[in-house]
Amino acid sequence: MPDWKEEVLRRLAPLKLAPARELELAEELAAHLGDRYDELRSAGIAENEAREEVLRELHNADIVTAESFQRAGEPRRTATEPGAPKTANPLLDLMRDLRYGARAVRRSPAITAFIVATVAVGIGANTTVFTIINTFLLNPLPVRNASELVAVASAETKTGAPSADLLPVSFLNLRDLQRRNAVFSGVAGYTSPTTMTLADGAGSRRLFAEVVTANYFDTLGLSPAAGRFFSPGASGPPEIVVSYAAWKVKFGGAADLLRRTLRINNVNFAVIGIAPKGFMGVNAIFGPDVWIPAGTARELLDSELRASLNSRGAALFHGVGRLRPGVTEAQADGNLKAVGAALESEYPDVNAGRTLEVRPIREALFGGSQAPMLFGSIGLMVVVAVVLLMACCNVANLLLARAASRRQEVAVRLAMGANRGRLIRQLLTESILLGLLSGLVGLAAGVLGNRLVWAFRPAEVAANLPDPKLDFRVFAFTVAVALITGLVFGLAPALSASRADVVEALKEESRSAGRSRRAVSFANTLIVGQVAVSLVALVTAALFVQSLRRAYGIDPGFDAGHLAVFMVNPGELGYGQARTEQFYREVRARVAALPGVSSDTWSQNMPLWGRVGIIQIEGREQRSKADAITTITNTVDTDYFRTMRIAMLEGRDFTADDRDGALPVAIVNDTLAKRYWPNQEAIGKRLKFPGDARFRQVVGVVRTANYSTIGEPPQPCVYVPLRQNYSSGMTLYVRSAREASSIMTAVQHEIRAVDPQISVTDVRTGRTIIDQGLWGPKIGATLLGVFGLLALGLASIGLYGVLAYSVIRRRREIGVRMAMGAERRSVLALVLRQGMTLVGVGLAIGIVVSLLLGRVLSSHLYGVSAGDPASLASALGVLLAVAMLACWAPAWAASRVDPITALRES
Amino acid sequence: MDPEAPDREWKKGSAELLILSLLEDQARHGYDICKLIDARSHGALRFHVTSLYPLLYRLEERGWIQGRWVEKAGQRRRRYYSLTRDGQKVLAAQRRSWREFVAAIGRVTGIDYA
Repeated sequence: MPDWKEEVLRRLAPLKLAPARELELAEELAAHLGDRYDELRSAGIAENEAREEVLRELHNADIVTAESFQRAGEPRRTATEPGAPKTANPLLDLMRDLRYGARAVRRSPAITAFIVATVAVGIGANTTVFTIINTFLLNPLPVRNASELVAVASAETKTGAPSADLLPVSFLNLRDLQRRNAVFSGVAGYTSPTTMTLADGAGSRRLFAEVVTANYFDTLGLSPAAGRFFSPGASGPPEIVVSYAAWKVKFGGAADLLRRTLRINNVNFAVIGIAPKGFMGVNAIFGPDVWIPAGTARELLDSELRASLNSRGAALFHGVGRLRPGVTEAQADGNLKAVGAALESEYPDVNAGRTLEVRPIREALFGGSQAPMLFGSIGLMVVVAVVLLMACCNVANLLLARAASRRQEVAVRLAMGANRGRLIRQLLTESILLGLLSGLVGLAAGVLGNRLVWAFRPAEVAANLPDPKLDFRVFAFTVAVALITGLVFGLAPALSASRADVVEALKEESRSAGRSRRAVSFANTLIVGQVAVSLVALVTAALFVQSLRRAYGIDPGFDAGHLAVFMVNPGELGYGQARTEQFYREVRARVAALPGVSSDTWSQNMPLWGRVGIIQIEGREQRSKADAITTITNTVDTDYFRTMRIAMLEGRDFTADDRDGALPVAIVNDTLAKRYWPNQEAIGKRLKFPGDARFRQVVGVVRTANYSTIGEPPQPCVYVPLRQNYSSGMTLYVRSAREASSIMTAVQHEIRAVDPQISVTDVRTGRTIIDQGLWGPKIGATLLGVFGLLALGLASIGLYGVLAYSVIRRRREIGVRMAMGAERRSVLALVLRQGMTLVGVGLAIGIVVSLLLGRVLSSHLYGVSAGDPASLASALGVLLAVAMLACWAPAWAASRVDPITALRES
Repeated sequence: MDPEAPDREWKKGSAELLILSLLEDQARHGYDICKLIDARSHGALRFHVTSLYPLLYRLEERGWIQGRWVEKAGQRRRRYYSLTRDGQKVLAAQRRSWREFVAAIGRVTGIDYA
């Protein structure tokens, strides 16, 4: 029988009806012609003649116009024939495509909901990460003409190569620069935020303060949110400026704050101003609560900072300069070098080998953390991009299935002369519409995600960290991602649909219209890829979990159980050395008397926060910098090794007699002893620190512990006695007989009993120290675990979709098989085999990739090899189980196919 | 003047009435309508595909008839048209005015339909 539909469509083509209308019309007219043809044939008229007759009727037309077939309000198709002039109005095209797309989206709410939910998760994750980046990295200084600002830093004249970090400038050099430079309209200095103690009623609170030059705010070009800023040259009572965030968070937004006096480190300050909203200092990551002018700050600073105001050698200030109009950075750098050279010749003892330089202000925003921040953000971005890509794969798969079922529609329109490019554009419009819809939901998910992330901000420093910046940039980013996403998941299905073979598709019954071989293999590739990615993520997560488990079993060289530490800094309160030492003695005596305390001591370092220093060993004097011996150094009080349970291997512990004036002594660990005095007696050997006038004699050797990270390779370490090395801030270590938590309150009470103004800035148990030491791997395990599960979920959804679709497509085949006597069990196996083959290929690729990746990550793993069979097996097990489940449902459905129904349907 | 022209005009004028009448008692598809007109007029009135369907759509557009796709076992999918409530009213009115019109013509021309 002739294909009437094709005949009709050919004749309708010039009318350029709306596509849907056209198809409906074609079917109706074809039915009519078919009926007529059948009638003629049954009347005995020959095939050819009947056909001619029917076609004549079609020709024998009254005047046919498009209007006669067009419904009111229905848009007409404009010229789309090949060779026809381009559409007059592309905007009209777009509107029509949008309308068409919106209809398609509305027509299948379940599929739409699935797509939007899947993609929104991916876009939400991307939005969250981008907001973090936007907040920290893309956040310019909220100051007037930020482009005029540059960082001013010290530089080594010898090395020539710029150092990675910005080197600080000494206060006195900075002051000279302020007077001598010819390129800046202003040069200001600021220190890093340092902790100070704010008297608060009966107790005290910790504050972060930046010591700044009086012209700091003027140089930056800021105006106060309230009150005023420092006026240079002013003399009077000490003044202080409070940050906007601290005003809101730490002082509850008190309206009378400007009239208050704050007692900080035992000095009274008049609050004269509140900094503008959003300004948290030059550093973009961590800001101070208050700014204190250097001129009035001397009394309240700890000894180190106070000394730095008078010593050209102590560089604690970061410089920021505002270029005069018309001055370039290069000119400024030249001028600075000249000033630097002059300072070098005037003060050769401290400035030798040093000069000044101009660096981009961007480097000051992130301090030394620019590279890791950038690296971390890129890493995060890649991870969430992969999640989004996987979501796209699933959606593409789904749309491919749908594209297959739409092949006929597409083929008809191609046959009618629809232009392929135009068709692709229309299908893409539909997927981009879906993408945008997902973007909208994703934006909401991103806002929620950010709340979650920012909820992890420790409450104590919430005012010192930036608030999430959800601005137009985040919005633009999300819209762009949504658009690209729509394009990505729509492109393959659109191309595949538009590639439809016109003749084939039109001949096919709609039911048997399946995916083309190419579409099927593309979908399968996507599934294999997803399975591989899931496995890699899961294996890596399992490796981290294994490594964490091992890490907790690692002996850090000290006993973290029943241990608690309390950090105090009496120097902040302006205590002198004698008073501080008195304080140390008193606290130890009081705490030791507490019930349940078995020993206590002072140590300069927190556990796993080892300080690195340089030593000289007698007889091995360094000839160049390369010879310098770096070790962990720690200042400790008596009983330190007993409290930490670090074994003495040789010699003796520090005693109360190791004090100033006595023979300078030190204790080393066995790593140092073995490395520098191999096969020799370490006791009696001598070493010294760069500032020491005399050599210290080694009096003991202790076992090596972990000083920086858990499971680290052995590091050399030198301990010196507190009584020979005064320090204004120390950490109290207490070993308790029972759980460390049982004595926490009592110990803090005793510290406050000695001086209520002393704030205990950090309290930790040994267990939390170990926890925090393993923070990196923990975050890694959590992130990878979440990511792995997300990937696994997406992969199983994709797997399920592909199989379920294939079962529907093969219903008839399965029906035939069963009619021929195939058992349900073998049908089940057939589908399972199809799915699990894909999974198998994915797993094989995943195993190879995870072995390679594991090797890269091996430096972050404790006692676990990249090919750890347990990790691999557990990840494989989880993945196989979930994949089996995803395959089972479609396979079961296939085995339930009723052969009679399936065959009748065909 | 085209001798066929008056015939066409007649048809146009009466076509709506013919279709509405045929749909009065049951829903029919286009081909069925065509056949019935052909048969009942003994071949005097004949609609072509290209004029019948635009007319059907116009009537549907006006809300007088309504098309519905029906799939019957062993048959093609066809669009069946049925008379709507509005269509019934229109049919009654058109019948009345047709009757009056024919009577008027009769009186003028002396053609007697009785």
